[in-house]
Amino acid sequence: MKAVHRELILFDVDAENAEDAIRQIGAPLLEHGYVRDTFIDAVIQREKEYPTGLQLRTMGVAMPHTFGVHVIAPAVCVAKLAHPVEFRHMGEGDVRVSAEILFMMAISDPKKQLETLSNMMGVFVNDEAMIEFANARGTQELFEAARRYIG
Amino acid sequence: MKTVKILCVCGSGTVSSSMVAQKIKDALAQYGYDVHCVECSPNSAETALAAGGFSLMACVSPVYQDFDVPKVNAVGMLTGLAEQQVVDDCLAILNAE
Repeated sequence: MKAVHRELILFDVDAENAEDAIRQIGAPLLEHGYVRDTFIDAVIQREKEYPTGLQLRTMGVAMPHTFGVHVIAPAVCVAKLAHPVEFRHMGEGDVRVSAEILFMMAISDPKKQLETLSNMMGVFVNDEAMIEFANARGTQELFEAARRYIG
Repeated sequence: MKTVKILCVCGSGTVSSSMVAQKIKDALAQYGYDVHCVECSPNSAETALAAGGFSLMACVSPVYQDFDVPKVNAVGMLTGLAEQQVVDDCLAILNAE
């Protein structure tokens, strides 16, 4: 089951802060019917309580997500930001992460989408893959990297 | 293989805990542990633990309350910065049982 879709690949997103980034990146998920209209607010709320920033070996990223009840069809939205935005680190709320790439996860049932989650985790620890994401020069290259590594 | 139960805790009790659960299962299998993971959110940790038999809690969200079950910070599994550290922390607890 493919989680990456061309219309969910965003390049050069100019966001003021984490909330703004989540709103901009959530918009195509909503527009194309992957999530319910409660999704974006739910992600913002959840990010405040349980942040999803991750400082990887290669760069800072974030994987904003929320409960499956807000999701219609599972998908991963990949967004490269025009400039890094500060997220709080997962599990350690007082640590800040300068996130350069966001992977917004619309997961309806983790048990059924385990392959996507497992691929996603593989990407985070794969320096080569992350550098390919970071070096993508446009939507097409970002899409190709996402399709190859996330599926 | 020794069967052990681990509680995986994340914000929504689903996405990141599923990611960590899978990786912990695979990693600990190499050390002879057949890991059964139960996933939950921090708010439902107490209820989940009530089922009993858990060796440890692997957390990707802070769990501020203390329970009888030891906690391991499992965020390193997701970032790849401390995968072995997380495995070692789990093993230290499991091997002491």
